[in-house]
Amino acid sequence: MRTLAFIFMAFIAPLCAMTQTNIGGIAGDETVFYAQTKQVNQFFRRFNGEEDVTGTRLYPGQNGFHDLKLRRKYMNMLFDKDSPLVNSDQKTVFIEEVLNRKAPVLLDFHAKDWFCEVATTFTWKKQTVNIILYLRIEQQNGGYKWVLSNCFCDKFNTYFNHLGDTTNLKFFLHPMSHEIDFMNIHKALDDPKNIDFYLDRNYAPDYLALFVSELKEGNLKFVSVNNEKFHVFQVPNWYFEISFFNRNNYNSGWLISNLVRLSPGDKNELLKHYTHSN
Amino acid sequence: MKKILALTIFASLFGTGLFAQNQVPPVEITPDRKHAIDSLALEKVRDLSKYISIIGDKTTPWSDAQRVIERACELFMDGAEMGVSSVNHPEQITNYKVREYFDRLMQLNYSKVVIDWYKIQYVSDLERQPDGTFVGVITVYQKFQGYDKEKGLVYEDTTKKDITIYVKRKETQIGGRLIGFWDVMLGDIRVKETSKK
Repeated sequence: MRTLAFIFMAFIAPLCAMTQTNIGGIAGDETVFYAQTKQVNQFFRRFNGEEDVTGTRLYPGQNGFHDLKLRRKYMNMLFDKDSPLVNSDQKTVFIEEVLNRKAPVLLDFHAKDWFCEVATTFTWKKQTVNIILYLRIEQQNGGYKWVLSNCFCDKFNTYFNHLGDTTNLKFFLHPMSHEIDFMNIHKALDDPKNIDFYLDRNYAPDYLALFVSELKEGNLKFVSVNNEKFHVFQVPNWYFEISFFNRNNYNSGWLISNLVRLSPGDKNELLKHYTHSN
Repeated sequence: MKKILALTIFASLFGTGLFAQNQVPPVEITPDRKHAIDSLALEKVRDLSKYISIIGDKTTPWSDAQRVIERACELFMDGAEMGVSSVNHPEQITNYKVREYFDRLMQLNYSKVVIDWYKIQYVSDLERQPDGTFVGVITVYQKFQGYDKEKGLVYEDTTKKDITIYVKRKETQIGGRLIGFWDVMLGDIRVKETSKK
């Protein structure tokens, strides 16, 4: 009820008194668009308390900047209310920890510990494949850019079907091969379909290298970007995911769609899981 | 004339330029400067909105529409595109060069088209790229209605337009004096149909 009251106070009342320059136009029901967290940039602003209730950007030194009361009201709105992956009790604990009076937590666009996952479609050797690209922010020359940090394509797994296999008794280089100048290695290399039996069982395939190679060889052709979401590890002991919800209500735009409390060691495991890294 | 006046006002706000076009200006964008840049960027977006409405208007003569398309294209960086998707197929994004987008808009097969813009907008922070140019995104919402002569309203949608803006420090000579100013150009635009549910 309090959240609803805040939405009305924050988003409907200011519409009647908005003084900023407007683009248009029509005076239809704009409250949904006003409430919507329209950009990831706005998610950061609302999370950090860097935007007042009229939507005006707040800067350091201004009244309300990083204000905990303002942040508490915004914070409740930044969760997808329909998500089964956001536990209500965990959400409460998360908000309390983020808004800790002594050590409040702020998100930082330029810092590490967050990255973007982009779902894409390509054609690979004439078949349609889905590839997940992972990007992170990198600094260069005083500016910033998104860079590809990893990717995942299940079709690439077919190259490594036999990786880590310990049951095969046929495809191996015998332990005295060095004494014969590896003259027998051609038997492995002339049989590409089984070459993955000969790999170090702990080898972690570099999918990004394969991706670059396949693109440069012309085997992989880009088709489209399908979706993007963000994985954030900037709040100590927490992981959350931000996704876009295209809805015609106040709970729309970029919202937290998954929230996980992290125990020691969980972070690396989750990172491995979410980035498909080995 | 209006352009020169705007340029002069803008230049006088931010002082004379000391840096060549290709150099990364060692200046930060202060809140006041950001506010002024936002106004300039929003003015360009307003121009774009106006042009889109004229191009889409069936009563606009073809030759006038062509002239407006030229003006509209001048707002954009070279190579800028419109990425369009519908609410039913959000994963299917069709990219059009801006000129192609305007041409298609002009040729829409409705007897009447009504394009309106919601008052709401969001202007992001400006982030510096490695080449020193600043980049931001402005979000606006547009309502489109297509009418058929006999059937009346046959198509209606509301789209969210996320418009890339590039902000660059440039110099120009006015009355023999070298004046530095911040130029704003529009870039790629992501056009997403909003949900009715």
